[in-house]
Amino acid sequence: MTIAAAFARYVRSAVADTGLPECDLMVAPQTIDELEHILDLASEHQLKAVIWGGGSHQGFGGRIDPDLVVATSQLNRLVDWQPEDFTVTVEAGMRVSDLEDMLADRGQMAVLPELPGAATIGGVMAAGVSGWRRARYGPTRDRVLEVDLVTGDGRRVRAGGRVVKNVTGFDLPRLAVGSFGSLGVIAQACLKLWPEPSTKVTVSVADGDRALATAYRPTAVVEADGVAKVYLGGTEAEVDGQVESLDGTVVSGWSWEPEPTGVVGWSLRVPPASTRSAIERLPSGWRYQAGLGVGEIKAASVDAEGAAGLRAWAESQGGALVIVSGPAALYSDMDPWGTPPPGLKVQRELIRRFDPCRVVNPGRLPGGL
Amino acid sequence: MTLIGDLVEILGPDRVLSEPLERYLYGTDGGVARGEVIVVVLPETAGEVSDVVKAAKRHGSPIVPRGAGTGLAGGAAPAVPSVVVSLTNMKDIEIDLGNRTAWVGPGVINLDLSKLTRSSGFHFAPDPSSQSACTIGGNVANNSGGPHCLAEGTTTSHVLAVEIVTADGEIVLLGGPAPDPIGLDLRSVVVGSEGLLGIITRALVKLTPNPLAVRTILAGFATMEDAVATSSGIVARGVVPAALEIMDQKMTRAVENFVGAGFPIDAGAILLAEVAGHPAAVEAEARLVEQVANENHVTSLRVAADEVERAKLWLGRKSAFGAVAQLAPDYYLHDTVVPRTQLVATMQKIYEIAERHGVLMLNVFHAGDGNLHPLVAFDASVEGQLDIVHAAMEEVAKVCIEAGGALSGEHGIGLEKRDLMPLLYNEADLDAQARLREAFDPDGLFNPQKVLPAGSRCADLGRPIPTGAWL
Repeated sequence: MTIAAAFARYVRSAVADTGLPECDLMVAPQTIDELEHILDLASEHQLKAVIWGGGSHQGFGGRIDPDLVVATSQLNRLVDWQPEDFTVTVEAGMRVSDLEDMLADRGQMAVLPELPGAATIGGVMAAGVSGWRRARYGPTRDRVLEVDLVTGDGRRVRAGGRVVKNVTGFDLPRLAVGSFGSLGVIAQACLKLWPEPSTKVTVSVADGDRALATAYRPTAVVEADGVAKVYLGGTEAEVDGQVESLDGTVVSGWSWEPEPTGVVGWSLRVPPASTRSAIERLPSGWRYQAGLGVGEIKAASVDAEGAAGLRAWAESQGGALVIVSGPAALYSDMDPWGTPPPGLKVQRELIRRFDPCRVVNPGRLPGGL
Repeated sequence: MTLIGDLVEILGPDRVLSEPLERYLYGTDGGVARGEVIVVVLPETAGEVSDVVKAAKRHGSPIVPRGAGTGLAGGAAPAVPSVVVSLTNMKDIEIDLGNRTAWVGPGVINLDLSKLTRSSGFHFAPDPSSQSACTIGGNVANNSGGPHCLAEGTTTSHVLAVEIVTADGEIVLLGGPAPDPIGLDLRSVVVGSEGLLGIITRALVKLTPNPLAVRTILAGFATMEDAVATSSGIVARGVVPAALEIMDQKMTRAVENFVGAGFPIDAGAILLAEVAGHPAAVEAEARLVEQVANENHVTSLRVAADEVERAKLWLGRKSAFGAVAQLAPDYYLHDTVVPRTQLVATMQKIYEIAERHGVLMLNVFHAGDGNLHPLVAFDASVEGQLDIVHAAMEEVAKVCIEAGGALSGEHGIGLEKRDLMPLLYNEADLDAQARLREAFDPDGLFNPQKVLPAGSRCADLGRPIPTGAWL
């Protein structure tokens, strides 16, 4: 049987999404069983597969010329929502915005990235990205309670559980976050939820650092191109009290700014106390959003001028400068991740045990893994 | 040279313990399991740990790393004769208030870190009941919890980096001070790995700002159902208190007699609720706690008037396990977790199990996150008693899993629950766990025969792993 014939029944029209890479073979599994079969076939035929959620984080990591694109758009079901337990289990192709809208109806939130666009739960997890509210609620990783992975050779494995506290076995759910599918495609996940605060405000202030020092555990403090906003949530009395001490312009609700856009997108990560210093070191013309107190800076520029020096400094602080989007040529001029982290040997040994034919996103991770 | 000779060469004679009594003392932890110790070593640096690992590996001796030995699942009790590496001498602390972090040696006592940072306005959030004795290395290895993990998360949410010595004796730093370290997040899987993936020689932990205000409320109820309904009701109203702890009457009486915390001994169950944070929020949340308690037929309600009274209430909670010594010479403390909505039904079944087996059971638990701690007081010197206790506890585990729960919320799997793992995970799931272990430690040098039952690694699942050059 030809490869095309082997995959024929999984080729579905719903794959016609914008931004997809050039690839003759595009499939969209409708069930996790189908995903298992697809990856088993991909392993059998030694294909390189890219997994496509909403396409929001495809700019991360090494470039791949795929033989196969697996869209998760049809794996988008709600599996289990226990509002009184504050847990929700969804298939990975569900869009973050759909999940958060659904949860908001019951006053709950998954605290995923605030302006997710088309991003899916699986994509956000696989790329290991978090929203600005991580300042108060911790990163996305802190909310993943259970995960169902389909390994590169098509085995479905489950780890963790649908309870908010669990140490039964190794923490594969956390490891899956930021793994870019190298241990398996995230097919389904259970997330811990938070109650939405009864009162939410956004306060624009002149001095973000001062606000960070003044406010008591704010939801987030984000500075964009010199203008800082403090996000607060809680009871009305608590929020009112905090607003008074901040001395800024208040609007009701959380008002998030779109990320800076440009030819090249960057994620600069430094220890929280080095955030100001990082902002000051951004090459001229770079636009940015910085999570004060967190050390995560999203930036955009017209080119990579000055990036090498900034990366060297960030790495010397224990951080990184990562390319998140840009023209293909940039990726051959500059490693998208920078200096690979220690522990590559164990990472390699792990990946070969979960994806022995190296099917899913090969070469996407630091060190060419 | 002999293994002990090699170890003495690395550490000198004073930090290599090989007398029978010394070996006996290190053969167990806080639980009921006991194993055989070849020799105990007390390294002081990562370099020494590395040399010890290499020497043990050369001699084919397994290694069991160990903190203060307060664990209850047999994690530090060797399953096979082993070299025990005690990390309690590694106590360096380096505080970085700017980044709200601290580098700590694995031997630092949990509470000591919070004491040291208190005057600066910070603390280390994970607070196991054993926090005045347990080490942070042990907390990291077990992903320990504690009452205040309800709002702040367990240890894993507070660890930014770990330095480990691998099974090859290599010293590797995983994670770092910046958010989202690149590459696979090995740090997250070393946390909670119960000494199977590497020996933790240093950890970078987060410091949490102390709350501006705290209110601790003690509520008594006629029945366990009312206490649980109150706890669940508070969470369902969208309040995440700092802690929500419940004790049944037997436990309340044992504790009251032991430390005199002021608990109402006529109550069927008591709820200890703590709200913390901004003063205005604390006030509103305390009102809500009282309101929900009233809706659920509270019989007595008291708000700690000051820090002294609050400390006394918490002393009562954290003395629960010690208090059991009044009732019987031994105790078996279980640790399971269920979805919060299943608490009432599960507690009923657990009491039925205790009754059927004729064991003396007391209950104290983290109600806010559904983490149960049924405790059986017994006399291990009476033949057959431990078997009865084990049988009862296995049934408890099954009931919790049937309710959608898990085997352990914070104590770990160790030896005690290893063979129950197939209750929760199928062949492919366990094989994945075994593969993960194999990637770190292919020869099973570290803490062998723990966590995963024999035969977890299943050679015929999936496609063969290529040998030689790859990637």
